[in-house]
Amino acid sequence: MKPDAFCLSDGTTLDALINTDTREVSMRVLSDAEIYNLEMDRIFGKAWIVLAHASEIPNPGDYVTRDLGQDPVIVTRDKDGRIHVSLNICPHRGMRVCTAEAGNTGIHRCNYHGWAFRSDGSFVGAPVEREKMHGDVFAKESLGLVKARVSLYGGLVFATWSHDGPTLEEFLGDVKFYYDMLFCRTDSGLEALGPPQRVLINANWKTAGEQSCVDGYHTISLHRYLLDIGQYGGIGDEVYANAPAMYGVDIGTRQGHGLRCIPPENTFSAIMGGRLDGLTPDERLKILPPPGITPNLLPQLRKHLSDEQVRLLAEAPPQAGGFFPNILWVFIYAPNAEGEFVGALGLHSFVPRGPDHFEFYTWFFVEKDAPEDTKQKMLAMSIFYMGSSSTIEQDDSDTWPHMSSNAKGPQGRKQTLKYGALVGENKPQGWPGGGFVYEGFSKDDNQWQWWLAYRDYMLAGKTS
Amino acid sequence: MTATKTSSEGTASAPETAGLIPMNSPTYIDAANFLFTEADLLDELQYDAWLALLAEDLRYTVPLRQTRSRADQAQSVVRTMKHFDDNYLSIKARIDRLNTNSAWAEDPPSRTRRFVSNIRVYTTDVATELAVKSYLLLSRNRYEHSSMMFISGVRHDRIRRHGEGFKLVSRDVIIDQSVLGMPNLGVFL
Repeated sequence: MKPDAFCLSDGTTLDALINTDTREVSMRVLSDAEIYNLEMDRIFGKAWIVLAHASEIPNPGDYVTRDLGQDPVIVTRDKDGRIHVSLNICPHRGMRVCTAEAGNTGIHRCNYHGWAFRSDGSFVGAPVEREKMHGDVFAKESLGLVKARVSLYGGLVFATWSHDGPTLEEFLGDVKFYYDMLFCRTDSGLEALGPPQRVLINANWKTAGEQSCVDGYHTISLHRYLLDIGQYGGIGDEVYANAPAMYGVDIGTRQGHGLRCIPPENTFSAIMGGRLDGLTPDERLKILPPPGITPNLLPQLRKHLSDEQVRLLAEAPPQAGGFFPNILWVFIYAPNAEGEFVGALGLHSFVPRGPDHFEFYTWFFVEKDAPEDTKQKMLAMSIFYMGSSSTIEQDDSDTWPHMSSNAKGPQGRKQTLKYGALVGENKPQGWPGGGFVYEGFSKDDNQWQWWLAYRDYMLAGKTS
Repeated sequence: MTATKTSSEGTASAPETAGLIPMNSPTYIDAANFLFTEADLLDELQYDAWLALLAEDLRYTVPLRQTRSRADQAQSVVRTMKHFDDNYLSIKARIDRLNTNSAWAEDPPSRTRRFVSNIRVYTTDVATELAVKSYLLLSRNRYEHSSMMFISGVRHDRIRRHGEGFKLVSRDVIIDQSVLGMPNLGVFL
């Protein structure tokens, strides 16, 4: 076949990379430069991508620098409080306009020739005004920084290069009902504890990205240490019988976002077998508030959420999930070293840095109105379980590079990732939310939906 | 509503001279030997023996570093967000994990070398405690990779006399990377 928009230079068609009959994904996608370059246009050029949390830039003039796909951007708050995302590339000669990771300024001035831009990206001017150094080819108004489209959800700053694609609301679709229970549940909302941790991983972004739709099953082997130390569902062989945190409700969507709702009594030894049955949602919430919610904030839940959302939050709170293509959040509670149940709220971004590298970002959140002492405990707890030094995720970050390097050999690139074990849609009677709902053991359904969404983006516009 | 509180502790400050103990003093040599011993134990994977050198009121912290303009250097060390924010019990929990048969990120273990230098020892307002500043260069190699991973930083420690030796009371490591060049901090600094 002749190379075209849907065919790689060696004749392999893009739709051959994902076998929808056998639910296999060619391992080639985990390291191939040609595929990577297409992804940068077709996925990271089109989808809504999380870049920051609004609480990182609370004041006019505040900014942080991030990457939207593989392009550097400045996320700013202007003098009127609006948030903008602009390409961090000077339109004059291509220099990086802003060289710090964060700061506050009303004017971003490029070091190279001094062209200056406002927080909203608009062009102020070029030095030596009387000589008109911006030239006579382009109008001054057209020489601002290239702007991305911005939209906020629960304080998360999303941006996209697609100015005429779906709205953020359309992009989120059915997961909004569930994610409101996490990001939009209190009067003041969440705040980021600071800028994200950043770690370079020698692996393709999808090794982690396909986890973002929640691979429940890996926990029992890759994170087996959690079971070996006895806090989760017993010790020794009873662990496989109890399969802690494996039973719950997985929710996938056509957009590729997905999450897991897990009853806490299916997870922790300390409350396994405890008598939570028959309790009202409010009674349950009093005993074990959702991760990150403190007793002083409990009354606010009913103000922001429906009865159905409160019931779900009490009985099977969303504990892990993601936004397609590269965001994973984890809202868990767990016993800390002192034995107290403390919430840990984290969000990761897997920022592509070439076919064999990505940056692993980790933000931690607290409810803005939580007591200071709770915030400090949550920081320590979050660090212990998520991000750079975390006891759980260091096992993930040691795994991803093996997958990418295995996808390089002439045999390796022909192997496949397999998503053969499905629950199948079985939405429980009276289930309040949308999406494809899978109740039971956490199987491959969600991640398979992630790959179908990936396929949709890569094949967008294909007619036959 | 500033989300990012920062501190200039340990960076961009003039070298401390008050209370500096001379390098030829027995106290300096004892303190330096303590740092060499614990580096040795960690490099030899003797985690339980290392734990025995930690005080039960330990604070172990590694703040984030950020690239900031020269004018904003005080904000280069971010303390509202960290890589480690540990106490004795959480460090012990990390070691309990390493002692299981399923701590994959360090099994097979990395080969590490902790180079500790530029040691300065200071008296403190507590007679039995010393403040110790040292540079750390940690090299880490995993699997059959020919390239080494590195992390460097300055450590601000507090050590307390205990019998013939010392216990580590606090450690704050100001690292030099904004983006870590190793996949995780599965190793202690």
